[in-house]
Amino acid sequence: MKSAILALAAAAAALSAGCANPQRSRDTANPAVPAVTLAQQVCSNCHGMTGSAVSPNFPNLAAQTQPYLVSQLSGFQSHSRRDPAGFEYMWGLSRHLTSEQIAGLAAYYAGQSPTVQPIEGDSHGIEAGKLIFASGVADKGVPACAACHGPEAKGNEGFPRLAGQHADYLVKQLGVFQRTDERPEGSIMKTVAHGLTQQNIQDVAAYLQAMPSL
Amino acid sequence: MPISIDDARAFVAKHLQPMLAVAMLAGALLPGSAHAIPAFNRQTGQNCVACHAGGQFPELTPYGRLFKMTAYTLGERAMPISAMVVASHSKVADPSKSDDPGADFQKDNKLILATASLLIGGKLTDNIGAFTQITYDPYATQDADGNFHGHSNADNIDIRYADRFISGSRDLIFGVSANNNPSVSDPWNTAAAWMQYVPVPSPTGSRFIDGNAPYPGYGAGGNIAGLTAYAYWNQTLYAEIGGYGTSRGMSSFMSAGLDGASTTKLRGVNPYWRLALNHEWGPHNLMVGAAGMTARVYDDPLDTSDPASTHKFTDLSLDAQYQYLLDPHAVTAQFVYTRNHHRYPAALADQPAPFFDASGAATLANTNAEDTNHVLRARLSYVYQATYGGSVGLFSLTGTTNTANQTAGYDSTGTLVRADGPASNLSGNPATKGWTLEAFCMPIQYARVGLQYTIYTRFNDASTNYDGLGRNARDNNTLFFYTWLAY
Repeated sequence: MKSAILALAAAAAALSAGCANPQRSRDTANPAVPAVTLAQQVCSNCHGMTGSAVSPNFPNLAAQTQPYLVSQLSGFQSHSRRDPAGFEYMWGLSRHLTSEQIAGLAAYYAGQSPTVQPIEGDSHGIEAGKLIFASGVADKGVPACAACHGPEAKGNEGFPRLAGQHADYLVKQLGVFQRTDERPEGSIMKTVAHGLTQQNIQDVAAYLQAMPSL
Repeated sequence: MPISIDDARAFVAKHLQPMLAVAMLAGALLPGSAHAIPAFNRQTGQNCVACHAGGQFPELTPYGRLFKMTAYTLGERAMPISAMVVASHSKVADPSKSDDPGADFQKDNKLILATASLLIGGKLTDNIGAFTQITYDPYATQDADGNFHGHSNADNIDIRYADRFISGSRDLIFGVSANNNPSVSDPWNTAAAWMQYVPVPSPTGSRFIDGNAPYPGYGAGGNIAGLTAYAYWNQTLYAEIGGYGTSRGMSSFMSAGLDGASTTKLRGVNPYWRLALNHEWGPHNLMVGAAGMTARVYDDPLDTSDPASTHKFTDLSLDAQYQYLLDPHAVTAQFVYTRNHHRYPAALADQPAPFFDASGAATLANTNAEDTNHVLRARLSYVYQATYGGSVGLFSLTGTTNTANQTAGYDSTGTLVRADGPASNLSGNPATKGWTLEAFCMPIQYARVGLQYTIYTRFNDASTNYDGLGRNARDNNTLFFYTWLAY
């Protein structure tokens, strides 16, 4: 029994000293692990292999703008972004990423083909969402989303791509902006989204999810 | 005597409220962020909900399954030790119908420290990780004076190596697991080793809680040594194959703490296999699978000299699991059916029955050469905001009648005797059916308090008078309260 434990301990020590495998590693604290490896071995578990997440619990990252991805990963790392969906999953994974790895991850996802989602929600809602996206809600002081996110919602530098995003994720994040200060880097959205009703939010989210297919 | 609403109310006031208060206080004092939590959380820095469906450990999310299949290596090396403690209280509907209620229901209606575990787990290298559990049972043995004595031994052990080949749209995980319990390596919680999700305390007072009701299992049991190899292709097809033998020599740590008489002795290498199909779409995921094992177990663990003295168990399982996971909702539906075939060693087959007929004059049929049992388990659970949850479970065991199963019967004078207290079996048939209802709360992510009520509609193949002395299946209905802490 004792010899077995000693043999196991010795084997474990030898393995941990000499068996790093950076090309297929899931180590989130090793600067030698390439960003593409992290994307494939770690991030893909939730966000999909090419940045298209199966579950709406997790945002699609494919074709997202590089500056936005860098700002979010940096925000998770510094804990400035602290919405529950963010800190529950992302604080720990991002805590020891190097700036090179963050830049590499952002470049990897920015370079992927955009996600095409199924169209969900009724056509009236999607039409109403389209109107809000293109023109805002004038009497509530809500500006057009397209003004910052682009006419095709492809995003623009720090303004994220919204086209093809999970509607459920968009609805929840608009709620975070409206009701909390958990995403200070997006504080402009608190003012922008202030006048949106829950129905407005659901409509615009349904439109954006369907967008690449429309 | 059935449990009344007043009984339940008094039970909650006496035990649930103070323990909830303690859990709430702990919640207020402990940091609410993703720091300083059990070993895997320290390693990934993530909350329990990332890997556990609705935070309901040990049930895994698709992400948790990938974490396990990639050998617990995601994240960074961290302090690998966690502890787990379960305190519980159970109250059986009728402890009076028994030859010796004091001995048969010793810890009934008493708060006990049910079990404590030390968990050592996590990333060792980029490809190797472990999940090992050492469990302390405060009620492991009982001396002649009726005092219980505690004991620690190896519980679940899973040490694995995995590699993942991923590019474009192709994804292949390949791994090897050294483990001590068939299906403990399985990533789905319908596996026999994981379906029973609340630890079972030993004391006799808790013998009728859900954890002791029929569960699917492999005839080989645990504390054996196995090596399995598995592959998971495109997150769609899972296949695992391996073999188990006696834990000895280099693998003796798999049964550490158990003496020779308590260690399962297997003849040769015994095959285990598992196939599962998985599909994920939107917030849904579905698995349908099958698993099986053939095991030859020596009748006497202390005498393995005669190869003919082995029981041969052949187990086949069909299982399915559906999950809907979209914050704040987590729904899980599970189904398992297991067919267990048991062939007795020749020396135990076709033997005179231990009991007589009611007159005491004629002997009963000889014991069987083989038995077949069928276990069915289904469970539906819901968790809201990873905090409040509930479940409904169904269990059904049916099987062959065998006079060897009888633990109650007539002796040669025609007197009815019971050899297994209130669980004594007069029919020789194991059929036991019922339901379990549960409500639970996780005030903080490392604590769960739960209240279960287990309802028996059939026990030892009878709904009434199953022991011949008037004990009914419903007399075993049990209210069970537990607090489960992991840190």
